[in-house]
Amino acid sequence: MIVEKAPAKLLPIEIEVDSISFTYPSGIQALEDITIHVSSGERVALIGQNGAGKTTLVKHLNGLLKPVSGSVKVGSWDTHDHSVAQMATRVGYVFQNPDDQLFQRTVWDEMMFGPRNLRWSAERAASSVQASLEMVGLEHIKEMHPYDLTFSSRKLLALASVLAMDTQVVIIDEPTTGQDYRGVQQIGSILSELNKQGKTIIGVTHDIDFCAEQFERSILMAGGRVVLDGSTRQVLSQISVIDQAYVEAPQLMRLAEKLGWDFMPLTVEEFIHHLDG
Amino acid sequence: MISLQGVTYSYPGTSSPALRDLSLEIPRGQFCAVIGPNGAGKTTLAYILAGFIPHFYHGSLQGEVNVEGKNAATMPQRELLRLVGLILQNPFNQISGTKVTVQDEIAFGLENLGIPREEMVARVAAAMELVGVSELAERSPLGLSGGQMQRVAIASVLVMQPAILVLDEPTSQLDPVGSREVFQAVREMASSGQMTVIMIEHKVEWVAAFADRAIALVDGALLADGEPRHVLAIDTVWRAGVGQTRYTLAARRLQELGKWQDGKRLPVTLDEATLTFKAFQKRR
Amino acid sequence: MAEVFGLYKQRASFIHGLHPLTKLAVSGFFLLAGLSLPGMWSTYLLVIFGLLPLAFLSRLLLELVSRTGRIVLPFMISVFLIQGILWSGGTPLIEVGPISFKQEGVQFAIASSGRILIVVGSFLWFALTTRPDQLMLALAERGLPSSLSYLIVSSIQIVPRFQARANTILDAQRSRGLEIAGSIFQRARAVLPLVAPLILSSLIDVEERALAIEVRGFNYPGPKTSYREIAQAAWEPMLQRFLLLAMAGTLILSIVLRLVS
Ligand SMILES: Nc1ncnc2c1ncn2[C@@H]1O[C@H](COP(=O)(O)OP(=O)(O)OP(=O)(O)O)[C@@H](O)[C@H]1O
Ligand SMILES: Nc1ncnc2c1ncn2[C@@H]1O[C@H](COP(=O)(O)OP(=O)(O)O)[C@@H](O)[C@H]1O
Ligand SMILES: [Mg+2]
Ligand SMILES: [Mg+2]
Repeated sequence: MIVEKAPAKLLPIEIEVDSISFTYPSGIQALEDITIHVSSGERVALIGQNGAGKTTLVKHLNGLLKPVSGSVKVGSWDTHDHSVAQMATRVGYVFQNPDDQLFQRTVWDEMMFGPRNLRWSAERAASSVQASLEMVGLEHIKEMHPYDLTFSSRKLLALASVLAMDTQVVIIDEPTTGQDYRGVQQIGSILSELNKQGKTIIGVTHDIDFCAEQFERSILMAGGRVVLDGSTRQVLSQISVIDQAYVEAPQLMRLAEKLGWDFMPLTVEEFIHHLDG
Repeated sequence: MISLQGVTYSYPGTSSPALRDLSLEIPRGQFCAVIGPNGAGKTTLAYILAGFIPHFYHGSLQGEVNVEGKNAATMPQRELLRLVGLILQNPFNQISGTKVTVQDEIAFGLENLGIPREEMVARVAAAMELVGVSELAERSPLGLSGGQMQRVAIASVLVMQPAILVLDEPTSQLDPVGSREVFQAVREMASSGQMTVIMIEHKVEWVAAFADRAIALVDGALLADGEPRHVLAIDTVWRAGVGQTRYTLAARRLQELGKWQDGKRLPVTLDEATLTFKAFQKRR
Repeated sequence: MAEVFGLYKQRASFIHGLHPLTKLAVSGFFLLAGLSLPGMWSTYLLVIFGLLPLAFLSRLLLELVSRTGRIVLPFMISVFLIQGILWSGGTPLIEVGPISFKQEGVQFAIASSGRILIVVGSFLWFALTTRPDQLMLALAERGLPSSLSYLIVSSIQIVPRFQARANTILDAQRSRGLEIAGSIFQRARAVLPLVAPLILSSLIDVEERALAIEVRGFNYPGPKTSYREIAQAAWEPMLQRFLLLAMAGTLILSIVLRLVS
């Protein structure tokens, strides 16, 4: 899984979400006074109960939704002043429902859609698309129709089609749903790889074990607000708070608690290390 | 009671079967989990139980499927429909598209069955309560979050009270507490003898905690079948790409490091892991 | 996915609580009267003294006016211009350069605009105030086969469903760098890649939905029941019958008037 991309050209981009609120046209208030700052190259998980506002929040980061009050800035760009298409050069967004995202007739066309809009040279587009398909392991089905793929493959294709655009910020809404164990591992290693290239990763996830293993920082949301924001270990250790937000501690932390440890392990390696001295 | 005898099935236009010589018996009131990697044939099994294969998808089906003692292939579909409820894998495509509110959406199936109104009202309210969407009763089913939509999809089928309930990855969009609650609810329904449950799932910690039995499918064939704690600790099941709890993975890591007692069973649940690793700590 | 459901707009008005067939009869009456009554201004009278007060009572006055306007205005303007250019003979009323608006032409334009206005207006009023599922139910209660009423209702909804689907696809495309606002040229470019996926995904959507509906007994034989009771005030059936009579009366009257003149 070698990716031929030059990390040097990535500009550092900070994300500033400044006290935003959002209400859907139907009158449902989904976000209330949210302020977060994400530095370039961070790996951040958004967690929290169904309907907490996670998807609504990430749709603000590429300008698909505009805050009713407050502002969202990606680098120097305020989403109020830039079109979604412009934002798309900085922020790639993988939708929660792949069917909302895929619309081309073949896997290849689907993959090429973004790079074409970026007006890359044909070679650059093709090589980026090829590398991204290889990254998710779909390079052998270029001619297939996206709708003929299984749900888990459509999810991977949706991810690959965004990766092909090589944006500094990558947002993934529920990357692991419908994936089997290997799929989850694969997505984990893709995220690590992207992060190594210096990209900012924001992931929305209900898979808390995955969250513990993959994200250094976690933001817990409930009822349209941010409840906790800090290092993943710190956030997930606050068991009574996360319980109220319908989230559970990861398996290894629950085990550590039963074993009477003060140390809260995030990964199997950490657990073994502490157990075995 | 469900029984499959030597079932082999290929989708139309495909050469390799999605299910291979599958034989199974699931007694009434059992909570049976189906685990396995993507493409193993889990959804195909669900379609067979619900009669979509062979009624909707043609292709070649061999072997015999019996539901409550009757042949599913020859049973009129309406009879099968009353018997088996199926919650489909993709929660985003299960909204009927003709209803304005969540509660009307959940009532849709009952209307079609001709259930009297008073009974319907009570059943819809109970189903909404069970999956935690009571506050969404008057909302549009089209303006929901992913998890809310999946809850509505679950309630829409549960409300029909089928004798056999088949759930295809029903917790994929749910928050952690919501997932556990679905397992719990299904457990209770099976225990009270109301329902036979077949649940396709990747969340093995809850499979081990709640299901009576786990069936591991790989490449369309049965790889292991038995008590979940037992099935989930089998090496071939792990190597075939079925998920494991972090407890089992930690024990496997110790095994790799040569620090695991030979022949000692791998822990699968939290309770087992607590005992096992406490003992491990003491030994040191 | 957008939160749309037909054109229906929920409001706390007593009109919304009326039986769907009552509203169907009212808008049917407007439609028929508007199309058959003679005279240039009769449709406008119907709009001013019938439709607009009803829209006001439905708390949807602005909504109805703006929606109707968006559909009807372009038509009205073009009718006026076209008759101004093309109407030959007759009494000139105003002359603007080479274009001369003739009295007969203007009368024709007023009359035909009025017809369009009442047709579109009464349909929209009906669609804005009537829940499609309730309409379906009401039709089924009158003995319409459920598959037929499903067809009717789902075709009422096809436009907003397409709109919602189109918005979803546009969101997906914008998120991958397709510029949509901007010059007409750019906008036209954005519409083209939308058409194929729109049709295709709607078809697939229909197929997947078919399975989901099937599991929930859509084709289950035997009588269906309904979750919602459609309330119907005691006077509504009477009003419905009266409106049917009125429709018949209008029809006869307009035939007679036409024969006489
Ligand atoms: N298109 C929409 N129209 C109206 N309300 C919506 C829409 N989409 C979401 N909502 C509502 O906004 C709130 C936040 O939804 P959002 O999708 O952001 O939740 P989420 O945290 O992503 O949940 P999940 O984990 O279930 O995906 C919920 O109350 C939801 O019902
Ligand atoms: N409609 C279909 N047409 C052709 N092949 C299919 C269809 N649905 C599934 N398959 C194939 O059947 C096999 C089993 O798929 P499925 O039952 O969906 O697996 P699972 O649910 O375990 O992920 C896979 O190889 C898949 O590609
Ligand atoms: Mg979401
Ligand atoms: Mg499946």
